[in-house]
Amino acid sequence: MGRYVLKRLGYMCVTFYVVITLTFLSMKLLPGTPFQNPKLSPVQINQLKHYYGLDQPVAVQYVKYLWNLLHGDMGGSFQFGNESVSTLLMAKFPVSMDLGLEAIILGTIFGILLGIIAGLHRGKVLDWGTMVFSVLGISIPSFIFAGVLQYFLGVYVQLFPVAGWNGPSSHVLPVISLAVGVLAEVALFMRTEMVEVINQDYIVTAQAKGLSRAAIVYKHAIRNALIPVVTILGPLTAAIITGSLVIESIFGIPGIGSQYVSSITTNDYPMIMGTTELYAGLFILSIFVVDILYGIIDPRIRVSGGRA
Amino acid sequence: MAAANESITKDMFLPAELDQSANEKISGEVVSVWKDAFRRFVQNKGAVASLIIVIAIVLMALIGPHLNNYGPTDQDLNRSNLPPRIAALSWLPFFSGKEDGIDVYQQHGIKKDFWFGTDQLGRDLWSRTWDGTQISLIIALIATLVDVFIGVTYGGISGYFGGRTDNILQRILEIISGIPSLVWIILLILVMKPGLIPITIAIMATNWIAMARIVRGEMLKLKNQEFVLASTSLGASHSRIIFKHMIPNSLGMIIINTMFSIPSAIFFEAFLSFIGLGIREPQASLGSLINSGYEVLQLHPYQTVYPGLVICLLLIAFNLIGNGLRDAFDPKLRH
Amino acid sequence: MSKLLEINDLHVQFNLIGRRVQAVRGVSLDLNVGETLAIVGESGSGKSVTSKAIMGLIPNPPGEIAKGSISFEGKDLVQYSEKQMQKIRGKEISMIFQDPMTALNPTMKIGKQIMESLIKHQGMSKHDARERAIELLKLVGIPKPEKRVDEYPHQFSGGMRQRVVIAIALACNPKILIADEPTTALDVTIQAQILDLMRDLQKKTGTAIILITHDLGVVANIAQRVAVMYGGKIVETGTLDELFYHPKHPYTWGLLASMPKLHAKTDKLLAIPGTPPDLSDPPKGCPFAARCPHAMNVCTTHMPEYTELSATQKAACWLLDERAPKVAPPETIGVGGTNND
Repeated sequence: MGRYVLKRLGYMCVTFYVVITLTFLSMKLLPGTPFQNPKLSPVQINQLKHYYGLDQPVAVQYVKYLWNLLHGDMGGSFQFGNESVSTLLMAKFPVSMDLGLEAIILGTIFGILLGIIAGLHRGKVLDWGTMVFSVLGISIPSFIFAGVLQYFLGVYVQLFPVAGWNGPSSHVLPVISLAVGVLAEVALFMRTEMVEVINQDYIVTAQAKGLSRAAIVYKHAIRNALIPVVTILGPLTAAIITGSLVIESIFGIPGIGSQYVSSITTNDYPMIMGTTELYAGLFILSIFVVDILYGIIDPRIRVSGGRA
Repeated sequence: MAAANESITKDMFLPAELDQSANEKISGEVVSVWKDAFRRFVQNKGAVASLIIVIAIVLMALIGPHLNNYGPTDQDLNRSNLPPRIAALSWLPFFSGKEDGIDVYQQHGIKKDFWFGTDQLGRDLWSRTWDGTQISLIIALIATLVDVFIGVTYGGISGYFGGRTDNILQRILEIISGIPSLVWIILLILVMKPGLIPITIAIMATNWIAMARIVRGEMLKLKNQEFVLASTSLGASHSRIIFKHMIPNSLGMIIINTMFSIPSAIFFEAFLSFIGLGIREPQASLGSLINSGYEVLQLHPYQTVYPGLVICLLLIAFNLIGNGLRDAFDPKLRH
Repeated sequence: MSKLLEINDLHVQFNLIGRRVQAVRGVSLDLNVGETLAIVGESGSGKSVTSKAIMGLIPNPPGEIAKGSISFEGKDLVQYSEKQMQKIRGKEISMIFQDPMTALNPTMKIGKQIMESLIKHQGMSKHDARERAIELLKLVGIPKPEKRVDEYPHQFSGGMRQRVVIAIALACNPKILIADEPTTALDVTIQAQILDLMRDLQKKTGTAIILITHDLGVVANIAQRVAVMYGGKIVETGTLDELFYHPKHPYTWGLLASMPKLHAKTDKLLAIPGTPPDLSDPPKGCPFAARCPHAMNVCTTHMPEYTELSATQKAACWLLDERAPKVAPPETIGVGGTNND
């Protein structure tokens, strides 16, 4: 187990290092410099370049960049009068975290429940309904779904606020929009796992022991079907992050997602890079956590100390 | 019992002329994997319906913009924000040309019909929607084809040669896949500036990973199967094994995964338009149409509805085709 | 009256889309206290379905018991509800399966898997059940049971897992143990160990065993009585000696002839040509007629009745009718070893 954790930790660090380097390189490759203002004289530009250390060799800039990043310094935002990117991100992060966590928890719990029900009633109406719902949920992009909800429940029926992020009722629409994809994905996955587990020999063994159906489903089927579900939590985090960009923009939620979109439209490069690194870090961390979690709950990995 | 016994006569105890060869015949016709898969696919009503929908949308994307006389980029502020009107269907509320009970066409004194209405700049949304569909499909198609090519090559080399090559390639893949595709796509587009080709490149830069993994898995599985071992021991060359055995046998998985790549590419294109990294005006894609429709969603919902409907139909249909193909090829379900 | 189990005219069918497979077509069997009965036949003969029917484990739908009775200690299990069957399964009748690699829950400790039925059927406390589980592991010959009780299935070898499966089955001292091909998935050397274990345990516990197998070698090793199944029917039944030394049904001959023998004069393995009948459209007459080298016209049209050859042996074959020509069993069926070793 120790070796397994160490190996995953190694991967995590290398991946994050690659992301940071990529971000740095793309910053160097960006067309045009931040100082393209025609009002600036060549002298002024050189002064500015010197101020930001851009006249030094790329290697030196790279090391400096890494060093600053290590201290949480991601530079200043162009949009917000050179205010520190990390401070801005930290201020907006809790809102996005709230939205993301609410969506992922809601989607996972209901997805698992739906998947179990469908798997146990394979071929019946409930199963069929779940499948239809899942295909729709996976196919329809969250921004379309958000638009439909916003128009009907927000504008038309006026049941929930159309935008904003204050008070529980304002959470309803964005969280649902974001959670639907997760729910559909988890439900479909869980259903497949349930169907597979139920056809396993050890379920027959459990039946032959004289256990009740409820005990078999609860103690043998669900536990075994749940373990692989953990593996899709990593990709789902990525989906939640992607989805949060549009959902936050559509519902005007003051999180890092909508901030990201606005920094893209205003070419606020330090902000874009900082947010990119934050997202990458979150994703990489979630993959790491999922790997470790999988190792903990699946005894086959726990004992042998690594995936075969 | 006695009655049954009576019906049995002595002459029935003569040796029966039984054709022993009839015994060895295989009941049921011999079907190839492909024919079998095709038969299963055709039986899947959802998948067949989806295929028809996709074909219809592709056809409309090709001929749709030419079905009326308005170009997709022709602007005319006199006819801005007209709701959809189709004279023959004007009894239907969505094609009446009325908005909030007011006949907007009469108000502006416009005689001609705009089937899907017009946008803020008075551009015909029918032409723009199908033109946008065309662009979205082109991006998805190119991105997917290149994905398949890169993924199959990478996964094939990794799985077929195995050993050290595989080890190195897998480590690289593990790191690449650890980076969310959002990050790749945004960095790539920022460096290249938004446009048809950069978007295509950015989308294909991440989608190949799943394909590479699947192909590698298939290769590893096939490599150790008897028929490939037999072929190797008979001295078949690498190319013969790859083209005669490996590729035909993993084609099913490749096709299935391709079918799931297309909707993912369509989605990402739309997503990019949404966050301002998509196709630039006056060009349109489904994503950019939906995005500009959202700006006036509360006033003129029809501007979002049609491109939204097309993209949903496309995504659902491709996913259902993918599901249908997976079921058709899945040997676990075959009896 | 020492009949523990009596199956009478059992019919099991599976209603699939567009066809109905009659997997078991009128099977009658009985089992005495403490004896071992082997049901022999090739795959698809209905032997596993019969055993599942006894356990009440025929998946319904698509399967159903269309006709017949299974009486256990005088009570008809066919009429039992699922709830009532749960009290029989694992307690009175238990079962071990073919593949020990998949028969155990991979994410549950071995001990817990044994304890489950103890807690359910005997109302033991967790602590007592654990003690008993360790005892059972010791009984089935697993070394260091106190330690291994807390291990997971993947930490055991195939043979050891089959021992665990046996321990689970024997946990509540069942009266009948159904063993469905218990050694098929194991190495030959391990097979012998498992058979020895089963024989030993039977001596200790007095459990009656129904052994389902296609391997006559296994039968010779452990069974007292044998029933030969073909095409959903029992074609011949008798004691071990009767079946091995005086077989009467051509299918039994074929089975015996196809057993590889150490000192055989030919270097060919004798197979029975042809394939078993399609049970979604079962033949009107004897199911074996199409493959039988001695088939007569009557065989294809009428199912033969059982002919009682002794108090214990009977066979269903038209060759035993007085009107039929006399056919001698082929010489190749000589039995390699004796059954009392």
